[in-house]
Amino acid sequence: MALMLAWRFFKRELFQGQLLLIIFAITLAVLAVTGLASVSDRLQVAIEGQASQFIAADRIIQSPREIDPALLAIANKAGLTQTYVLEFNSMAYAGDKFQLVKVRAVEEGYPLKGQIELSTGQAQGLPKRGSLWFETRLAGLLSQPEHIEIGHANFTLSAEITRLPDAGFNLFASSPVVLMRMADVAKTGVIQPGSRVTYLYQFAGNASQLTAFEMQVKPLLNTSQRWIDVTSGDSPIANAVKRAEQFLLLACLLGIALACAAIGIAAQRYCQRHYDVVAMLKTFGASARQIRILFSVHLLLVTSLGVVLGLVLGIGLDKVISLFLPAEIASYSPSLLRPVLLGTATGLISALMFSAYPLLRLLSIPPLRVIQRQLESANFGMWLHLLLSLMAMGLLGYLYSGQLAMTLTVVLTVLLLGVLLSLLGFLMIKLGHGIGMKTTNPMQLALAGLRRRAKQNAVQLVGFSCALVLLLTILALRQDLLEEWQQQLPDNAPNYFLVNIAPEQKQGVEDYLFEYIDEVPELYPVIRGRLTQINGEETLTKKQVEAGESGRLGIGRELNLTWREQLPKNNQILEGHFNQKPNDVSVESGVAERLALKVGDELTFTIDNQTVSVIIASIRDVHWENLQPNFFMIFTRDTLSSFASTSILSFRLENDKQQVIVGLLRLFPTVSVIDVGAMIAQLRQIIDQVSVSLSLVLGLVIMASALVMMAQTEAGMASRQRELAVLRTFGASGWLLKWATGLEFALLGFIAGVLAVWVSEFSLYLLKTQVFELNVYMHWPWWGIAPLSGAVLVGLLGLWRCRQLLNHSCSELLKGH
Amino acid sequence: MSNKSAIVVNALVKSVMTQEGVLTILNGIDLDVKQGESIAILGPSGSGKSTLLGLLAALDAPTGGDIYLDGESLGALDEEGKAALRKEKVSFIFQSFMLVDTLNALENVMLPAELAGIKDARGKAKQMLDRVGLTHRLTHFPHQLSGGEQQRVAIARAFICEPKVLFADEPTGNLDGANSDKITQMLFSMNKESDTTLVLVTHDLILASRCQRQFMMEDGVLSESTNSRPDITDEVR
Repeated sequence: MALMLAWRFFKRELFQGQLLLIIFAITLAVLAVTGLASVSDRLQVAIEGQASQFIAADRIIQSPREIDPALLAIANKAGLTQTYVLEFNSMAYAGDKFQLVKVRAVEEGYPLKGQIELSTGQAQGLPKRGSLWFETRLAGLLSQPEHIEIGHANFTLSAEITRLPDAGFNLFASSPVVLMRMADVAKTGVIQPGSRVTYLYQFAGNASQLTAFEMQVKPLLNTSQRWIDVTSGDSPIANAVKRAEQFLLLACLLGIALACAAIGIAAQRYCQRHYDVVAMLKTFGASARQIRILFSVHLLLVTSLGVVLGLVLGIGLDKVISLFLPAEIASYSPSLLRPVLLGTATGLISALMFSAYPLLRLLSIPPLRVIQRQLESANFGMWLHLLLSLMAMGLLGYLYSGQLAMTLTVVLTVLLLGVLLSLLGFLMIKLGHGIGMKTTNPMQLALAGLRRRAKQNAVQLVGFSCALVLLLTILALRQDLLEEWQQQLPDNAPNYFLVNIAPEQKQGVEDYLFEYIDEVPELYPVIRGRLTQINGEETLTKKQVEAGESGRLGIGRELNLTWREQLPKNNQILEGHFNQKPNDVSVESGVAERLALKVGDELTFTIDNQTVSVIIASIRDVHWENLQPNFFMIFTRDTLSSFASTSILSFRLENDKQQVIVGLLRLFPTVSVIDVGAMIAQLRQIIDQVSVSLSLVLGLVIMASALVMMAQTEAGMASRQRELAVLRTFGASGWLLKWATGLEFALLGFIAGVLAVWVSEFSLYLLKTQVFELNVYMHWPWWGIAPLSGAVLVGLLGLWRCRQLLNHSCSELLKGH
Repeated sequence: MSNKSAIVVNALVKSVMTQEGVLTILNGIDLDVKQGESIAILGPSGSGKSTLLGLLAALDAPTGGDIYLDGESLGALDEEGKAALRKEKVSFIFQSFMLVDTLNALENVMLPAELAGIKDARGKAKQMLDRVGLTHRLTHFPHQLSGGEQQRVAIARAFICEPKVLFADEPTGNLDGANSDKITQMLFSMNKESDTTLVLVTHDLILASRCQRQFMMEDGVLSESTNSRPDITDEVR
């Protein structure tokens, strides 16, 4: 019986539009999660797919020894394609000349992703047995030989490599690379037991295969083995992907929080609407069980409809978005299972948990309310509601992100925001105390209304402000991220690096470039050195520190050091002053943090068998994404100029001037040229894709904000209805009431706007410094725009709702229709 | 009217705690209403009429005293027991009609019958609406009906479960003269047909005069009016 009644109530209320708000709120939450999850899954697959061309595979296991064949069997079972690369250093001989080279021995299948480019065009296949493909500068270093010897084997140099997909972005790779067939390794006789070699096992496959493989294999790796994917390391691609992922995640969490707030408000209104029905049902003898079943089923029907609509729209949104994506990205279609499950869970959890408390109150409505209309339900304490709501938000956030810390941060921020805004709002409204109750002037009527409903208005203020805060935060972050990426990759971003320029070549290189490009960039000297002591304490490797040896954590490898007289562009001093005294050094902030270094610490380096001690004068922020030579340590000229150095520089060359590079290599064959044009193009594409998702997120957040505001206006209007009726009955003109209500809401919107700017500036400061590493600045125009647009928006919403009410007759209003 | 008591009230007290201390709303009420009898409770606003109605209808619990409804002591029942009792024996008519505005006339009338598990609630509801002259309004929603029509729906709803006792709280309070007369007529005639005990709370002296006994409530004390006209019936109007 209760089931039938539930269905009847649902059907009737649905067609009469009474369930629109709550269904819309649930639909939006589900749509946001499903749509964003599927779009971001698609983008992530696409971005990783493109970025993986930079590591020539989707995943790599790097190991100093051959790995357990069982691991490879797992990859086979997961359906991944695989190959492996053997890397070792060896001396190459050509007549009486010799040069250390990095040998990459490869087998059929390499590279799994991307292409090898040769001076003659894109490579087909791999070098034949007995021949090598080589980096151009090797020929220069060995005086253009036709054959070279490596170990006991003689090889023909058959093709010049201009780009290897997994060459990485290491500007300081000192040895030229040669590519060899795996089958030729044995005859060189170079690899002996105990030789230093690196095995790179490369894997490629689809997202689910890779995830399955990763989950199985990662725990089995030992400490000497390293798991590599596109987000490993400090490459510009990895950084861009990481940041975009973080932003999407954060925006989704905030979107979920907003949609939850809308559901919370809508659920409260939903329950309030049914107070009389419950009282009436109880009066006619309905048992508690009947009422419980009726409303649980009713709510479940409402939720189900919201979830289904949300899923359909979410999947539709994904399809629409894919129409706007470049064909190659649109063709990546990750499984919809995760987004659909996430969306469904979001709808169910948020609707049921946010409704639990209002429902509990609804069920406790006393039947006596049919006679004593002012009777309300039992109050179970706001803490229960708060606890349930925060739990729902936390659970959803964690389900979505899988990141406890970020989820907790968002939940705590929302909690703090709520408390802070309630207090501030209450205070601000109370300050209006003493304003008269004259009812001739809409402004005074509005102010009096604000003060009279201080408590209720404070709650509404929280709703309006939260919506605005989240909107402003997302808006600003999106803008800042896009701008920063644009700044880092301006149209004139350098696309070539020249590395290993010998001291005697410096002048020549500069003169040569001067002929072809307008502004020759500065050369950075590069000197190799090892950090040996910090404040007199020996430095240790990570392993030694973990083994409990006494000393300070060091870097464990040689560093590339440079000296500068001025702070490089795009570097920013975070602490101290840039090198002023002869033995000053400036340290990059990431290294400083890792090694716990601070201004005033003494660092000792071994350079060229000499000991050099310097004092940290500044900590520096370096944007690794910008395609400039960047350094962990920058010394003064006094300290380093006496050591032997090579130089490095970056410059921009238009695509139609390739012959400049050919000419340069002819003149300076030992100089390495690194072409990063392809990488820039890739980065740009990633940024374009991320921009699409940022706009989508923004759109959803705007919708969620609008919904929260509408729900809040709706809630506010219900309590004003009787007052409007009374004033109307006593002859207040429609004009006066309309303006007074509009103004009251506008004032609320104004205050919400002011509070929203404060809070969003603060939260932006936290997010930019703690999560996104973006420059912090104040958004001054907002200080005017946000309160004004808040006033206009909320005021109009109030006016609109007021107009609807004033269209009813006084008796209808008084009866509560 | 039989000799069996439908409602017996002994030394009923209702007091509430206020900031100023204990406020006694009902102070030692005694009452005996026979099955099929109609009584009116009159009194100024705030005199405790509605409080008494709430207690008699098992919607509220007294501070002291006993109430027996159709022989059953309300004090011995928990909330569920009271709900079951209401479902079986009691019905209501309110000043503000209290129709569910999302359900149509027919569904509103069906509601108590469905809750009570009566078979063919729909057919029965149609019959009831026919009796109150609303056959042509079955699918209309409350906001599409006039005040008088809404109260007729409420009357049909009140009688569908054939209650032993009907409580009416100012049933004509929201209606104009013509509608008020119609509703009164209908209420009393249906009451007579179904031998229901009627407890009416009202300000309307004419309406009260249609009841067999009239009681005056003043400062929480109930007293029977001396100008009682036990056999007053339809011919008065």
